[in-house]
Amino acid sequence: MSTTTPPAQTPPASMRITPSNEPSTMDVSVGPQHPGSGHVRLLMRVDGDYIVSIDPDVGYVHRGCEKIAEYRTAVSNIPHLERPCIIDAIHLNWGYVIPIEKLQGVVVPPRGQYISTIAAEMNRIMSHLYWLAINAGVFSGHTTIFMYAFGDRDLFIELAEMLTGARLTYSFLPPGGPRRDLPAEFQKRLTKLLDYFERRLVEYDRIFFSNPLVVARAKGIGVLTKAEAIRLGVTGPVLRGSGVGYDVRRVEPYGAYADLEFDIPTFEEGDSYARFMVRFEEMKQSIRIIRQALDQLPKGPIARKAPLIIPEGEAVGRVESARGEITYLVMGDNSDKPSRVKIMNGSFRNLIAMPYLIRNVHIADMPIIYGGIDYWPVEADR
Amino acid sequence: MSTQNLSRDEELVNKLKARFPEAIKASKIEETRRILVSFEKEKLLELATYVRDELGFDHLIGIAGVDDPTHKLIKVLYFAGSFTKKEIEDIILILEAELDRTTPVIASAVSVWPSAHFHERETFEMFGVKFEGHPDLRKLLTLDNWEGPPPMLKDVKFPEMGQR
Repeated sequence: MSTTTPPAQTPPASMRITPSNEPSTMDVSVGPQHPGSGHVRLLMRVDGDYIVSIDPDVGYVHRGCEKIAEYRTAVSNIPHLERPCIIDAIHLNWGYVIPIEKLQGVVVPPRGQYISTIAAEMNRIMSHLYWLAINAGVFSGHTTIFMYAFGDRDLFIELAEMLTGARLTYSFLPPGGPRRDLPAEFQKRLTKLLDYFERRLVEYDRIFFSNPLVVARAKGIGVLTKAEAIRLGVTGPVLRGSGVGYDVRRVEPYGAYADLEFDIPTFEEGDSYARFMVRFEEMKQSIRIIRQALDQLPKGPIARKAPLIIPEGEAVGRVESARGEITYLVMGDNSDKPSRVKIMNGSFRNLIAMPYLIRNVHIADMPIIYGGIDYWPVEADR
Repeated sequence: MSTQNLSRDEELVNKLKARFPEAIKASKIEETRRILVSFEKEKLLELATYVRDELGFDHLIGIAGVDDPTHKLIKVLYFAGSFTKKEIEDIILILEAELDRTTPVIASAVSVWPSAHFHERETFEMFGVKFEGHPDLRKLLTLDNWEGPPPMLKDVKFPEMGQR
């Protein structure tokens, strides 16, 4: 029996699964459970071992972030708005601050931009390691990589704590620039960690990415063609795994990315394995970016004083997070609170790929596709 | 560099205005890379199709509802971007429609950008905007037993959350 997915052709007009009298099919509710990344329910119609269609039922972890943001001050929104994806807190924080800085006319000094970039790339590695441990490792039944990745992630968390004072929820970038300069010894310890981690990536490749078991389970599963990926507007590693080399760090450089050299890992296959490999290669690029940023770190102030109010107007800012582009619309009305904050994030944008990809596949392939998308329910539900 | 980009952005706006002289109500380039265009809501599908096929904005980044009780409006903002056309890939084109606050209705953009599916469902439940022609317009994020008004409207407040 072939295990390759036929590329999604016709879009499912409605995702609703209505009661059916078809004797061969059965409706199964998967979740709402917490498979290591937040609560989500997939209502699946199955025919034997095959999934006919799914209806993603999201919203179990919706907490009205956008509503709450209208009643908090611009600065107190930072710890609030980074909560949806605590494993990628720097990016959620940075994307929100960029439009505010635009409205206020505040320019972060170069040293601050470099420190933000270092923190962001550390966060990307941590987030990808979390994905590798849970969404790739546990979901494919590979418990060794779960232990390896979680162990190594903690070394980065320790350094992030040294830099920001918190393990996960940093609130590190208020408008104007980062809260702290690099502590003494930080540079030395981070360089040492990167050398160690680069060696570990070789081991990861051997035990996971080149492992015949993983390759057999992920290759050819959940194929999203390039044309479909563009049409569906997916983002991040899902998009780059389908052959579109689009990355906000390159098309609209923020922070220090304009000065630094890095590649955008892109794979043409569009299957789950390609999405795995994008994240693997991105970790190598993050190492490269951090090394350059540490080498070229400019001297001078790290932050400017920013006003507490958000001037009247609206601004849109975006950053490339671990799960794809995060776009924030922030509207101000000359008060200390934003009048509207709209979050458009990678998880919510990639949700559309799920009903397209989890069709005509074995039930056992579902976790691999879900894990390949790296869907983070809390970020999507906000 | 930035002046060149500005003229590129202006050129895009001029193209849109020339094609839809009546439908485009206002436009502004807030900065390079961000173009905001207000249009007559009846023209949404025509405009969106033109923007996608002729201008190259091949995907939708998101849809944002904005409540404006002072002008009795609900605005719906469509954020479009381009993956395939190199020269405009850094632009976010924002299409803005103004809807009546009491009966907000607009056509569904799912046929143009399939990813509008979830964004429209979210805007429907949060702002009460009815997207005509959406294949499956139902609640997405709120609880199944949520009976109240669309929660993102400015006059809906949750005192227990300190909202007064």
